[in-house]
Amino acid sequence: MNNESIHLHIGTDAACYTVPIGPVHPALKEPIEFSFRLDGERIVGVEITPGYAHRGIEYMGMKRNLIQVLYLAERICGICSISHPLALTQAVENAAGIEVPPRAQYIRTIIGELERIHSHLLWAGVGAHELGFDTLLHLTWNVREKAMDLLEQVTGNRVDYAIPIFGGVRRDIPNEKAHLAREALGYYKGLLDRMIDAYLHDKSVEMRTRGVGALTYDQAVSLCAAGPVARASGVCKDVRQDMPYLAYADMEVRAITPEDYGVKPTGDVFDNIVVRLLEVGQSIEIIEFCLDHLPAGELMSIPKIPALLSALKKAEGEGIGRHEAPRGEVFHYIRLGEGIEEPLAWKVKAPTYSNLMSWVPKFLGQEIADIPIIAASIDPCMCCMDRVHLVDKRGTDSVETKEVLIRLSREKTRRVLG
Amino acid sequence: MTVMLQNVLWQGAAILFGGTLVGMFYKGLDRRLAARMQSRMGPPLRQPFFDVAKLMVKENVVPRHAVAWLYNLMPVVSLVAVAALLFYIPLGGYPALLAGYGDLILVLYLLVVPSLAMMLGGYAAGSPYATVGAQREMVMMMAYEFPLAVTAVSLAWRLSTILPGEATFSLSVLAANPLWDLVGPLGIVGLVLLLGAMLVVTPAELAKIPFDIPEAETEIAGGLLTEYSGRNLALFYLADAIKMVAMGSLMVALFVPYGLADLCGLAGVWGAVVDVAFYLVKLFAVVFVSVIVARVGFARLKIAQATRLFWLPVTGLSLLGLVLLALDRMV
Amino acid sequence: MILGTLMKQLLRRPATNPFPVKRMPRSVTGLLAKVAAGRATVNPPVPTPTDLRGKIAYDREKCIGCKLCIRVCPANVIRFLPEEKKIRMYVARCTFCAQCVDACPVNALATTEEFLLADADRFSRQLIVD
Repeated sequence: MNNESIHLHIGTDAACYTVPIGPVHPALKEPIEFSFRLDGERIVGVEITPGYAHRGIEYMGMKRNLIQVLYLAERICGICSISHPLALTQAVENAAGIEVPPRAQYIRTIIGELERIHSHLLWAGVGAHELGFDTLLHLTWNVREKAMDLLEQVTGNRVDYAIPIFGGVRRDIPNEKAHLAREALGYYKGLLDRMIDAYLHDKSVEMRTRGVGALTYDQAVSLCAAGPVARASGVCKDVRQDMPYLAYADMEVRAITPEDYGVKPTGDVFDNIVVRLLEVGQSIEIIEFCLDHLPAGELMSIPKIPALLSALKKAEGEGIGRHEAPRGEVFHYIRLGEGIEEPLAWKVKAPTYSNLMSWVPKFLGQEIADIPIIAASIDPCMCCMDRVHLVDKRGTDSVETKEVLIRLSREKTRRVLG
Repeated sequence: MTVMLQNVLWQGAAILFGGTLVGMFYKGLDRRLAARMQSRMGPPLRQPFFDVAKLMVKENVVPRHAVAWLYNLMPVVSLVAVAALLFYIPLGGYPALLAGYGDLILVLYLLVVPSLAMMLGGYAAGSPYATVGAQREMVMMMAYEFPLAVTAVSLAWRLSTILPGEATFSLSVLAANPLWDLVGPLGIVGLVLLLGAMLVVTPAELAKIPFDIPEAETEIAGGLLTEYSGRNLALFYLADAIKMVAMGSLMVALFVPYGLADLCGLAGVWGAVVDVAFYLVKLFAVVFVSVIVARVGFARLKIAQATRLFWLPVTGLSLLGLVLLALDRMV
Repeated sequence: MILGTLMKQLLRRPATNPFPVKRMPRSVTGLLAKVAAGRATVNPPVPTPTDLRGKIAYDREKCIGCKLCIRVCPANVIRFLPEEKKIRMYVARCTFCAQCVDACPVNALATTEEFLLADADRFSRQLIVD
């Protein structure tokens, strides 16, 4: 989506006015442009124009060798900072035929689940802020600090952990660190009930989130929603359950839907809160399983960097990698050429890219006051998502060269300047 | 100029100055305590003074599509109305400066003017956010004025049945004869219900969460006040601080106007000090419950939900209070 | 309910660690000068683990000039000095991934815990490692 934005008009045009939200707005944590057509307080049309966080990462990646690309992938997003490396390492390991030792797979899973905990807690706080409930924001983010401290102890950094490498992981989780992890998990287990109480039993939160921004099962399936957004509508879709990888292959991970809380799934904001809070509990169980069953062994299948670099250079072929990021399925495609260090092609599909279209049915018929919480309910991560994708008016897509894009931009500038 | 007029002017200036000082301090206290409740450190108590000083030196931006004269006039109107309020409400346990010249009805009217001014300023700003905010302010006023009026009239009417012939709408009379001592048990229950209704109306009057809908930060980026900056915003800020004092003092005068000096048997300067201190404590109690705790304990409501809340449960509560007061009279 | 938590938190110490000082000083450079002269103290930051990803330390003697670190660095931090066959690192660009540490065959590079690296000049002494 670039210049052509998503367009939907319903209702008469009489007495309707337009309110822009974004690209810079207190409700939005990242730049995206909404243009709402309103009838009083009711939304009758929405136009979404993404593209403000595009940084040309895939282009940069094609100019670097694969180890450098790994750290570029890590910085596609701060909150889902290990999801992209996990998918990328899977893709490259598939393409190059590199094995990952079991201990490394378990460690990758542990860090991935810790990231899910901190990401969902962050989302819960942000959702509360959109509702005007700053107290829950501070409470949740205070609680999240324990997960961040644990991540710092285990990986050396709060964000961008630099743990996965092609063929394994770079740091081990020795017993002392495992002990710290269990302590933090115990703290979270005790806290989860209080968080569920604060979010799901609070009258004012319920008034603002029940029945707001509903997404039916059929809409979720037809719009290819992914992650907690789809699960909140009752779609039982989870990469860890459907196509198990890493340590998930050794355990049964079930997709969590609002039915696990005893609520009929409607896909509204309340169901999104339910799914994400319950997933925090699920992540705690997964991490405990991994810590209990951490297999002994080596950390990397190719420990020496020169050997790894030459194995990657010799590799030829395509590979795909998938991971259930906190926001849904993240998908990386890589194409390697023999004798070439840089990847020939690298495509990243972030989960928010799949969930973007869900915004349209969620917004229609709601009020202005619901805009921030509905926008936040799909847990948007624009920086993950923004990739330039050219679709013309007939719906056929194309891959254009730089010359065509420059020509189109110049034509638009002439149009705009009149 | 006669001596009496000079006296009145000096007292008026003192009231304005004191009211502003107290209002700003309580605003700072509000921010500090709210922060502590959220496990944060919070700004120093003098922060509102820094804020106003900073705003005064910032550029005053008038949007291109704004109605400039209305846009610039409204903050002044708002501040003047709120400052005028201070002259008609008993402060510090003492009767109001212009006590004989305005009663409860005038106070209710003056309470509406700042909100009206903000609303007109919002419409004059020419920004879609401000327009939405102004629409919401209009609806909010229609919502919370009803229980406010019912409460005020109930108290004045009940007192008039006990003290016939007195001007019971006057705040001095209301403050001198607290109804708690003058009604039976049914009346006391009625008064409690009226107090409850007023505690819900106060955050709406002062535009605090859960009722800061016209200024919803995350929804409409400041709503009414989106386009205001510099000196205009400083005037609105001051008006908000003084309104807190005015509304809180109104609550104190209507429901807990007791003084402490008589109880302690003090008179003269010490009596004055004790009375004023007690009044500040009562004001703080009102601000704590209806502003600070309300601000941190709830999410922001939607405009339809807030209107429904005020027209059904809160008005029902105040009407029930009125009915109980009436029944109490017959018993 | 949440009100109970709020009242409890009102009476407890806030969760914020007041690093470096509790309130904004009138002059930041003045405060730093006072700290350097020993006339003022600064609250310490939250304790960090020993294997924190901080500034990279470089042992010049051990370095053999193989340039493996330059090959793996994602941020173009390291510059090769051909005459001496040693390197120079510009910390202002560093992402602290420590891939260079892993790549070095003679262990000339190591991570340290130093992370208080804020500076106004990206080429100041503390931001160049050689």
